[in-house]
Amino acid sequence: MKKLLFQGAIIIIVFLCSWFCFTQINWVKIFHVQQLTDETEKKLGDVLLDVVLKSEDEIKTPQVNNAIDSIVNHICIKNNIDRGQIKIHVVEKDEINAFAMPNGHLIVYSGLIQNSENQEELTGVLCHEIAHIQLNHVMKKLLSEMGLSVLITLSSGNGSPIIIKEALKKLSSLTYERGLEKEADLKAVDYMIKANVNPSSFANFLFRQSLNENESSKYLQWASSHPDSKDRSVYINEYTKNKSIKSVSVLSVKGWEDLKKEFVQ
Amino acid sequence: MINKTQFAYEPGEHEAESASHSYIMSLIAIIAGVPLPILNLIATLIFYLGNRKSTYFVRWHCTQALLSQLSMLFINSYGFWWTISIIFTDEKITNHYISYMVAIVVFNLIEFITTIYTAIQVGKGKHVSWWFYGTLTNMICKP
Repeated sequence: MKKLLFQGAIIIIVFLCSWFCFTQINWVKIFHVQQLTDETEKKLGDVLLDVVLKSEDEIKTPQVNNAIDSIVNHICIKNNIDRGQIKIHVVEKDEINAFAMPNGHLIVYSGLIQNSENQEELTGVLCHEIAHIQLNHVMKKLLSEMGLSVLITLSSGNGSPIIIKEALKKLSSLTYERGLEKEADLKAVDYMIKANVNPSSFANFLFRQSLNENESSKYLQWASSHPDSKDRSVYINEYTKNKSIKSVSVLSVKGWEDLKKEFVQ
Repeated sequence: MINKTQFAYEPGEHEAESASHSYIMSLIAIIAGVPLPILNLIATLIFYLGNRKSTYFVRWHCTQALLSQLSMLFINSYGFWWTISIIFTDEKITNHYISYMVAIVVFNLIEFITTIYTAIQVGKGKHVSWWFYGTLTNMICKP
């Protein structure tokens, strides 16, 4: 028996040693394996953000930025999310839309703020996009839609403007798979509950958008890129049914009104 | 690694041929089984079950062939599922992964060559006992 165990141990050791020895060779370099690194994501995020900010006006008024920052800070602190990871950019555009980009950039269109009936609705959408960032959905989706080579080319700054615009179009109207969308929705609800924000407002927002889905309004980008809003509002309500929820307003009534006033045309 | 020893008795020609087939069976299954590592084990197991009432020499070599497939199954399966996770999840191709795949290719190659050599020698009526597997077979397979 001892002999058997000894021989067995020798075989395992030989295998592990040969595996270890092979790891000393840089196979990734030899086989030119292309990898998505944090650096690639960072560069890709910067390239895409640059295109957005060249074509749209970023709103940098303190009232707007402070109010949005307060909401995002509150969500991040209550959910132990690294606030430095989320970079909010509020952009002047009438579309009801918000979308996440690589490297934690989150674009919020002014149309979304204008059309949110209360701060909880806006918080819900922000939580949903933060969930996409935290769950790495953005890179997963871009990878499957555009391919690794294209993303690496784009991140190097050598991508053609057409491909960059295509990537941006995919992001701004990005329809995630149903599974990913639901995962982000439920994660957003968890974020909201932990942050003491009532998720039923988020469900109401989705329900309201679903009523307008068939009108194909050009202003309802977020709803049209996130289909089945009615189903989503139903499962969000179902998910929150038995949870104890405290409700706290992050912004004061005046703070929210002041934010909305910024966008009154 | 492998050791040619004297068996308890001199096997007949038919016995040697049957024993040799157990190794050939695993070789054919290796080719058919790639990339599904379970197939060669199943093929060898079927051959083993079919010969479990055969003579000691045939049983002994069927058992050794089966045991060698069993341990290869573990390292091959790990590599197989690692590959599947790279294809279908966001698992990345790392240096560790490629090194593991190279290591299992090397080990499978060694096992493949050893199996061919053993099949030839056993076919000639010679008794070939492998390091570890031979010892284990001696414990399991009794006359």
